[in-house]
Amino acid sequence: MLAPISWLKDYVDINVSAEKLAKKLVAIGFEVEDIIYQNRRATNVVVGKIIHVEKHPNADRLRVTKIDIGSGEIQVVTNVPVEGGETIAVALDGAKLADGHEIKRGELRGVTSEGMLCGLEEVGLSADEAEGQKQGDILRFEEGTPLGINALDALGFDDVILDVAVTANRPDCNSIYKLSKEVAVALGTSCREPHINFEPAPSDKQNIYGFSGTKISDLLKGVEVQNPELCPRYMAAGVKNIRIQPSSKLIRSRLRAVGIRPINNIVDITNYVLTEIGQPMHAFDSRDLEGSKIVVRNATDGEICVSLDGKQNKLNKYMLVICDEVRPVAIAGIMGGKDSGIKDDTHEIIFEAAKFARDNIRRTSRTLNLRSDSSTRFEKGIDFASQQLGLERALTMIYESGAGDILDGSYDVKIQYQKEREIPFTLKKLKEILGCNVPKATLISILARLGISVSEADGRLVAHVGEDREDIVGVNDIAEEFIRVYGYRHIKPTLFEYASLTEGGKPDSIRVVDLVKDVLCASGLREAVTYSFTSPTFKTKLRLPDDDARVKTIKLVNPIGEALSVMRTTLTHSMLETLAYNVTHFVSHAELFEVARVYLPKSLPLSELPDEREKVCIGIYGEGADYFKLKGAVENLLEALNVSNAEYVRSSEPFLHPGRGADVIIGGEKAGYLGEVHPDVAADYGVDNFRLYVAELFIDKIAGEDALKHHSFAPFTRFPVVERDLAVVVDEEVFASDMLKAAASAKAADLVGFKVFDTYRSEAIGEGKKSVALRFYFANLTRTLTDAEINASMDKILSALKRKVGAKIR
Amino acid sequence: MKEKLDSIKCAALECISDARTSADIAAVRVKYLGKSGEISLIMRDMANVPKEDRPALGKLVNEVRGEVESALDAKGAELVAQEKSARLKAEYIDITLDSTGHKPGSLHPLTKIRRELVDIFAGMGFKVAEGPEIESDLYNFQLLNIPKDHPSRDMQDTFYVNENFVLRTQTSAMQARIMTVSRPPIRVVIPGKVYRSDDDASHSPIFNQFEGLAVDKHITMGDLQGCLTTFAKKIFSEDTKIRLRPSYFPFTEPSVEVDVTCSMCHGKGCRVCKGTGWVEILGAGIVNPAVLDMCGIDSKLFSGFAFGFGIDRIAMIKYGIPNIKLLYENDMRFLAQFN
Repeated sequence: MLAPISWLKDYVDINVSAEKLAKKLVAIGFEVEDIIYQNRRATNVVVGKIIHVEKHPNADRLRVTKIDIGSGEIQVVTNVPVEGGETIAVALDGAKLADGHEIKRGELRGVTSEGMLCGLEEVGLSADEAEGQKQGDILRFEEGTPLGINALDALGFDDVILDVAVTANRPDCNSIYKLSKEVAVALGTSCREPHINFEPAPSDKQNIYGFSGTKISDLLKGVEVQNPELCPRYMAAGVKNIRIQPSSKLIRSRLRAVGIRPINNIVDITNYVLTEIGQPMHAFDSRDLEGSKIVVRNATDGEICVSLDGKQNKLNKYMLVICDEVRPVAIAGIMGGKDSGIKDDTHEIIFEAAKFARDNIRRTSRTLNLRSDSSTRFEKGIDFASQQLGLERALTMIYESGAGDILDGSYDVKIQYQKEREIPFTLKKLKEILGCNVPKATLISILARLGISVSEADGRLVAHVGEDREDIVGVNDIAEEFIRVYGYRHIKPTLFEYASLTEGGKPDSIRVVDLVKDVLCASGLREAVTYSFTSPTFKTKLRLPDDDARVKTIKLVNPIGEALSVMRTTLTHSMLETLAYNVTHFVSHAELFEVARVYLPKSLPLSELPDEREKVCIGIYGEGADYFKLKGAVENLLEALNVSNAEYVRSSEPFLHPGRGADVIIGGEKAGYLGEVHPDVAADYGVDNFRLYVAELFIDKIAGEDALKHHSFAPFTRFPVVERDLAVVVDEEVFASDMLKAAASAKAADLVGFKVFDTYRSEAIGEGKKSVALRFYFANLTRTLTDAEINASMDKILSALKRKVGAKIR
Repeated sequence: MKEKLDSIKCAALECISDARTSADIAAVRVKYLGKSGEISLIMRDMANVPKEDRPALGKLVNEVRGEVESALDAKGAELVAQEKSARLKAEYIDITLDSTGHKPGSLHPLTKIRRELVDIFAGMGFKVAEGPEIESDLYNFQLLNIPKDHPSRDMQDTFYVNENFVLRTQTSAMQARIMTVSRPPIRVVIPGKVYRSDDDASHSPIFNQFEGLAVDKHITMGDLQGCLTTFAKKIFSEDTKIRLRPSYFPFTEPSVEVDVTCSMCHGKGCRVCKGTGWVEILGAGIVNPAVLDMCGIDSKLFSGFAFGFGIDRIAMIKYGIPNIKLLYENDMRFLAQFN
């Protein structure tokens, strides 16, 4: 809401600076987002009079002028063909023009110039705004304009405008009048009521255009509201002998100050009243109302109404239209029809001031994609009191400006409504809500300033709230009205003074995620956070087949763009994008992880909440990055979560290198995958100079019941641990994990650990074969083992290897 | 015999003094004192010495042996010390060279702040909960006193999945979920991602909120203020102050915006607080009785407060991060700053 301070002053005396006023408004709940000084669009541009002109000695097209700027005389070189004697605008040394340009004293072809003559553009105005000035010319003022004053002030741009963010509960304050009431509360002063002054024209008044009626009914036979639910009140008044002309300078400049273009006196009155009273008005040319009737009804499906802006609107039965006897002449509350508007030769008009249902206007406006100042205002909500006030203000403006002759009477079709609400409350309850003492006298006086009277009956207090404050419905609202004026500084902080003791803390699901993140950090990875929505192209980039579950995504109806339009079903895509981002930004290596949700619909289109499952994704590239580094990070993670039965089997994920990818199987179920990214896929992400590695696992599959379990102590041997190595030849296809499983199956006595520590291939070993070196560790809790004991165990292991994986001793 | 002994002694002492390394000393020791060393051989020759001379000669031999031994020990110790110091000297390294081995990773700044927040509020008796990010219109709006087509829907730009499902615009959605299934006393914080279709220099379409809700028999605006004061002091600094300004949210009444003294300039006024000394960080208020009733909690018996703020904003203020987009770019050079 733009509120020119000069306009507010019509209603309330303001004797403080704009800054102070802004602070006071903020304190009572009206945030002032900006203070706009009209005359600061350009600074240091003043009115001057050219008192002398001569030709520039070194340039034919330039003139050297002497300009009187009130406080003295300056010399300005200009290419404007001035003759001398003109009163103009000149930017002085140090001036800042509207486009940000700074003006400095300088020399032009050897002659000193201390400023620059300015036109509209330099002071940030258009010809539309600054009356009497021409585009492309310098600003010119009337003889006698005080010299040295700010040129913008001289043009009438001397107001200070507050840009107030009015909260959605106070639609009434989107008007100068109601905002003035709050200004009065903020300043501790009183607010004047709108000025109403009009009389119907006497019956013997001369009728310029031949219309001889004197009463509203002579012009408009009737108003019929067929759907009072959508139109609880409709008022209409008539004016004849209309003289269409420009509005007064004051009205025009006020409208411009709030961003409305002046059109003519009648249209300007509707906009002025909208801004001042908050009541949208409409003016019909009565010639265009067939049958001289107004019917407010629902449109029929497919009915067409061409609006003022020339748009063909196809209506439906939920939309409300204003019709004459035959056809729609306006889309209620949104925009008038093209044919029924005010024209240059309009003679008689009907003013409409109505209340339309907020939600319906909102829906219609959105459906038709048609907006106006009026619809914006209706969407926020209009109270019942505004129609009459608005209409009377409009008639006052007609009357006082002599724009036409007012017909006697008006139509007022309305539903029964409650003029006043009664809200019973107690001081005790207010204290319970606020936690501070509420002095009764202060309370009553604050509420009185807000226009809420308080009566006391049987020891109970009752607040009487007017129809203009639809937001006040209960005791909490009373508490707020009181405290926003009384001041929050009166509330002293307490920590659950009267409330129960409760136990805080995290659920296991969050503790697991914390643990996952900590372990991955300890593995040297840095946490990334990427967007939850992504481009549908992830499917093709990752080469996911059509029957892959990850292809079924939840789509947004109104995404920011196609690239952020589907909820992700995998984190790998975002991770690859992140790795690629770093590669293209000259980062030599990255070690990243992310823990985030994927969104898996149970059915599409979505009819119930989808599964949102937490996943962990790891991505690395650059120095030291390889499959085993990645696997190490995964193994550390699984170990921390007490997973001891993970198996790694060759993966068939289409985006992984066929020979360097593994599925992680836990308890027979796939928990995720890890591996090197297929070079073609990496290239699709724009990376061909690095190998990328990625892993992605479901948190709920790697964090089982034991994930957060404490470990129990296990005794360890104090006797020597004996190492034994064994090299065997096996087929190339035999995995290390197969060999270790085979070795473990031997259940050799005192075996405490084993690993594969070398693999060797040679011609001597033979094609398709490899020699694998295993190391075994033996120990006993109570004694030193003998060679014979260890040999017996090794024999068992070797025979198991022979039997299960076809191992041979070379 | 005695002459021979003297010459052996002289030769031995000369060898010792000539020794340059501890190995030389060991060799001299073997040559003279070893089993078949020259002095040991003299002892063996004792049999050829007349019996009466033997004691005197024996004593002499022992004296010589003693002298040679102590000379060997002294010189040996000296050489060992020299050699050790030479070795250590040779082992000098440039102790300023870069370390090797694996470096720890780091949590995202949003996670770090979120954990701090969780700890602060857990200490005040708040449990932590999470909720769905794809949320029904009912929980995200309607139960929070934001009916369909209500103007307060304009306060947020919503991503829609369809008519009934949205990407939650506020963690407040979880308030309604919690209140519909649990009974007071309720004290819970809800961190999580939220979504608004707002994408420009200062907005990210995804950001993180931190919601708080307390419902009990007697909860006041003073409790809200106390709780938020504690939070502000712990997350920023002990000298932080808060200020409540009246505002409006459909699900709280009274509603307030809360400002904290700028942690950059401590209230003096700077670029971060645009010279005001205050930074707006959160919205809060007393739970609207209409919301309690809609969620099945009797507003005549119970009251509550709620608050919500952006974790991103706190992180940006606390770490001096100039642009929210940095948080989601995942440039290693950004992430590596938050060890």
